[in-house]
Order: sequence, then C-alpha cells, then structure tokens
Amino acid sequence: METLLSVQDLKTYFYTGDGPIKAIDGLSFDLIKGTVFGLVGESGCGKSVTALSIMRILPPAGKTVSGKIIFKGDDLLNKTEAEMRGIRGGEISMIFQEPIASLNPIFTIGYQIEEAILSHLKVSKRESKKRVVELLKAVGMPSPEIRVKDYPHQLSGGMCQRVMIAMAMACEPSLIIADEPTTALDVTIQAQILDLLRKIREESGTSMIMITHDLGIIAEMADSVAVMYTGRIVESTDTRTIFRDPRHPYTIGLLDSLPKGKGEKLVAIPGMVPKPSELPEGCKFSTRCRYVIEECQSSEPPLKEIDTGHWVRCIRSGEIKRL
Amino acid sequence: MINSNLLTVRDLKKYFDTRAGFLKKPAPVHAVDGVNLNVGQKDVLGLVGESGCGKSTLGRSILRLIEPTSGEIIFDGEDMMKVDNRRLRALRRKMQIIFQDPFSSLNPRKRVIDTVGEPFIIYGMAKGKALKERVVSILEKVGLSSDSLYRYPHEFSGGQRQRIGIARALAVEPVFIVADEPLSALDVSIQAQIINLLQELQTSLGISFLFISHDLKVVRHFSERVTVMYLGIIVETGKTEDIFTNPQHPYTEALLTAIPMPDPSTKRKKIILAGDVPNPAQIPPGCRFHPRCPKRIEPCDKIRPKTTDLGGGHSVECHLRG
Ligand SMILES: Nc1ncnc2c1ncn2[C@@H]1O[C@H](COP(=O)(O)OP(=O)(O)OP(=O)(O)O)[C@@H](O)[C@H]1O
Ligand code: SF4
Ligand SMILES: [Mg+2]
Repeated sequence: METLLSVQDLKTYFYTGDGPIKAIDGLSFDLIKGTVFGLVGESGCGKSVTALSIMRILPPAGKTVSGKIIFKGDDLLNKTEAEMRGIRGGEISMIFQEPIASLNPIFTIGYQIEEAILSHLKVSKRESKKRVVELLKAVGMPSPEIRVKDYPHQLSGGMCQRVMIAMAMACEPSLIIADEPTTALDVTIQAQILDLLRKIREESGTSMIMITHDLGIIAEMADSVAVMYTGRIVESTDTRTIFRDPRHPYTIGLLDSLPKGKGEKLVAIPGMVPKPSELPEGCKFSTRCRYVIEECQSSEPPLKEIDTGHWVRCIRSGEIKRL
Repeated sequence: MINSNLLTVRDLKKYFDTRAGFLKKPAPVHAVDGVNLNVGQKDVLGLVGESGCGKSTLGRSILRLIEPTSGEIIFDGEDMMKVDNRRLRALRRKMQIIFQDPFSSLNPRKRVIDTVGEPFIIYGMAKGKALKERVVSILEKVGLSSDSLYRYPHEFSGGQRQRIGIARALAVEPVFIVADEPLSALDVSIQAQIINLLQELQTSLGISFLFISHDLKVVRHFSERVTVMYLGIIVETGKTEDIFTNPQHPYTEALLTAIPMPDPSTKRKKIILAGDVPNPAQIPPGCRFHPRCPKRIEPCDKIRPKTTDLGGGHSVECHLRG
C-alpha cells in the first residue's frame, strides 16, 4: 500500500473584510495509490476548497496558511508556479461540477483537448489529433471524428462532462479530483458518468478523490471516505465501516436523515450548520449534537483512531452507536 | 377512490411556440402532451422524471399559472379550464404551490409577515392584530418562531426560507398543494427536517399533494402513489410500493436502478441507459422512449403503445405489457 497523496494539517483561510474565514482548518488524510477516496459533507463544509488547495488554484482571497500536501514524496506547497503548471493536467487533473461552464465556449472541444495534450506531452500535431479522437471514443462520445468540431454549447451536460473527463485523462494523470462531477446531471446520465469513471479506474488504475454530498455515490464509488463538517474531518474510515459502524454523531445523523422507504418520521439533525464566523468553542458539532455533554464545549476533540484506520473526532465515540 | 377524487386531469396539453431561426419553421415544444392523472382526497401523488420532461410545466398548468393549450382540469367538481376569472380566483385559494428555490421565490423586500400575511389581505380575511396572530400561528406550524415576523428573507437560511415558502402556501388553508422540487436546493440534514414538516402537515391538515421531484428516494418516502413522466407523457402510474418493487416500464426500471444507494453491501445490477435525456422539440415516433430502451421490440419505433391497466391502480404505456 503506497500513499500517493498525504494531506497534513492543512489550513486554508479566506481574507474578506473582517477576520479570516477558516474554510479548511486542520485537514489531514492519506490517499492510497489506486484507490478512490471519498470526501462527503454538506454545502460549505470545505470540500471544494480542499480540492482547490491541492491544485493550488484558490481564488485571490484564499490562502493556504499552513500544512503539507505531499504528492509522490514532494510537498506541492513548495513547488513553483511553473512546476505546478506541469503537475496540473499532467499528474493531477480535476473535473468540476458544471461541465458546460468549465469548458471554454469559444473553442471547439477537439481543440481544447488537444491543447491539454500539447501543453504536457511532446507529441506531433498529427499524433495529438489522433489521441483526441481516441480519448473521446474512450469516454463514450458517439461519432468522435465529427464531434471534435463541436463547440461546448452544442453538447448536452452529460456530453460536456465526457469531454471534461477526456481532457482530464489526456495525459494519463495519476490522480483525478472529481468535484461533484454528476450533481448537475440527471439520474440516468449520472449513472452513465459514474460507470465511465469506474471503468477508467479499473482499466488505468488512476487514483481518485471523489467529492460529493451524496452518500449513495460514496457507497458505490469510494474505497475509503472522510466526512467533513465545518472545514474539518469528523470521521474517516473505509467505506463499509462508515455505513456499518459510524461513530460520529454527525455521520450517524447524515445516515439517519436519508429517506429509506415509505414511512415513519426521519431522524433529522436539528438546527443548521453554523456560519464560519460563529463556530462554537470546543466540538464544532456541539450546537446540533444530541449526545452533547458539558465537556464537549470546552475544547475541540482531536481526531482519534478508535480502531485500525477508523478515525473519529468525538469524545464520546466509544459509547455512541447507530441504532 | 373514483368518487373521492379531488383533482382529475384529462388529456392536458401545453405546447410552447419556439421562435426558430430566420426561414425556419417554428417547431412547437410539446412540453405536456396529453396527460391524464388524478389526485384523491388526502392523497400524495409523486411525479418523477428527468429534467425537461415537463414536470414543472404540468404542475403549473394544473394551477393555470401557465395557460394550458387544451384539456380538462376538474378540481373539486369544477373544470378549471371553463370557469371565469372570478371563480378561478376562488378556486385558486384552495390550491397552492411551493417552489424549488427558496432563495428566488421570496420577495427580498418583503418581511415574513408581509409574505405570509399577503393572502389574508388579498382575500380580505384578516388585518391588524388578527392578521399578526394568524401569521404567528402559521409560522408555529412550520417551525418558525414569532421573532421571524419582521425579518427579511436574506436573514434566513435555505431551510428556513423553504419554511417561509411553506407557511405562505398554508396561509389560505389549501386542500391541494403542488410542491415543485421543494427539497432539491437543500442540504441532506435540512431536507430531512422539511420532509418531516411536509409529512406532519399532510397528515394533520389532510392536504393533498402533487409532489414533483427527481429524487426517487424522497418520493418513495412521501408519496402514496407515483407517476412517471417521460417526454411530456405519463408512462407509468401506480401505488408507491408497486412502482418501486415491481416497475413495469423499462424507463421506470432504469430510473430505479440508476439511483446510487447508500448501502455498499447491496450489489444491484444497474441498467445504464444509452443516449441523452431527449429534447421535447424532437419527439421520436412510436414509443417515445424507444431510442433509449434496452428492451425495445418490433413495433416500438412505429406504433405508440396504448395505456394498459394492470389492476390495483397500476397502469403502464409499453408494448411489452400491451
Ligand atoms: N471565494 C471565497 N471567498 C470567501 N469565502 C469562501 C470563498 N470560497 C469558499 N469560501 C468559504 O469556504 C468555506 C468552504 O467552501 P467550499 O466551497 O469548499 O464548500 P463545499 O464543501 O465545496 O460546498 P458545496 O457542497 O456547496 O460545494 C465556506 O464557508 C465558504 O463560504
Ligand atoms: S464531542 Fe460531544 S458534541 Fe461533539 S460530536 Fe461528540 S458528543 Fe457530540
Ligand atoms: Mg463544492
């Protein structure tokens, strides 16, 4: 088991007006080579900022203030911008939620994929043109020889996402970060795209970070998973365990919130996620937690390994079980 | 069932004229293309289907928020398409809609008391202190405290705004609500709160719902019956459990297996449909689903199947069951 990516105590803050917004505040996880690591959590918990921090493409107000991002033995935070340009799209590619918005509207899709190839690989124009068609074929684009001349707006959302995936695969990266790649798509198209990502992973062994708010996608796609809340990981383990034996009250709450069939009342998590500027002292989940005791509010619990590879940020994890 | 019907929709159509390019013939979009459905008293009919299949247009046409092209909408014994405007206004009091996006469906310049209290003023039902009391009691029903009264929408979270939207709908004491994707803008934990709220209101007030959603898990939880829409028409209708455990239309079957299930121990066989979500301006001949159907047979690309009644309120439009 080789670690491909190790994120260590990452902190990314936004500086807008009064005081920093601590979007990511002490995030750590390891991605084992060849596996899919799922990041799940509700809106605003910092999933996208994590991805942008790894790629080092944060918006101007955002800054990674500390931590390490060890990729293949080197800290990405120590790389120069020129080195990062080689890594982005070469070693690590990213797929975004809004496929149509992520493509450039004024260039054909063939041109855009070709650019991705030529900026990273030393191949002739002829070869790259051939490779574009191969890539489009591999991602299931019908009649790729003709479609290369299409502009993004001529394609459906699902087809644009295939183009994005073709671009992401262009240089055979070792890591793909997919940030909600199917959230904007219909359920039958989502099934197609997830199937495609599964095939890519089987055939090329590419490692992936799969960002989603959908626990169903985690169950289907991820080998291991981290549940995020207010910029931190609250629980992380292999996918089976998170569903079978979740130990953090937030994870349990998320699972209980899912409708299961016709019937009784759902056990909803009360209240809502606190604003970044209004985080409580101590455990950040304490304002909504049904197991909260006085001790929870004094200092923030550390992420503790309660079983091999099962990490939980809760002082009561030993006593708590999902019924 | 039949005589306890609250709403019966027959052969409802809504065509939109699209302005095609210069010299091109305008092609009408058949957004709703001959829909039949009924909703009973205290019934919840779930309406599912993919984007662009006509769900929202259907929901709005039933309320005549969009003017239907043709068809019948019998609500509480009266044909909504035939009544005059005064009568329509009176009928509308009994029907309400809740929208998907709690951010854009509330007027940002109106305080909660104005938004929720508006129908009382429009219909001359209450004012002053009485109005305030009525609004407070509705807010209580949806889980908002009375200190929300004088606040503006931007001061609330998504879930709270959806509660305001629901409160506005409840103000006129409707018997029927069209809920158009009321949860899809919300996070999972907030979704669960709102589902619980809708369910409580449904049982305590006996309101009937047309519940539009692309999230089949939510539909299964909330609906008595489910109807599946594809390209402007209904392809299957039945009791919720029948639809989920014994789907008869290949499209329903594919939709159901496409949902990612939050349980890694179940390995289901997925039916992955080829092709894109179709365009309502280009409706295929024969069965509208045939270009994507993995089970299509000889007549599917030529002849449109008839609706087959399978008994027990289950009906399907497919040659395999014809
Ligand atoms: N450009 C920005 N300026 C200021 N704050 C930002 C910016 N981008 C993100 N944030 C803040 O960082 C935090 C994490 O945001 P992020 O986009 O990573 O969440 P997310 O988990 O991806 O949510 P979603 O599920 O909605 O995509 C939020 O509190 C957000 O408000
Ligand atoms: S530490 Fe306390 S408040 Fe936080 S999740 Fe555990 S029990 Fe709940
Ligand atoms: Mg995001």
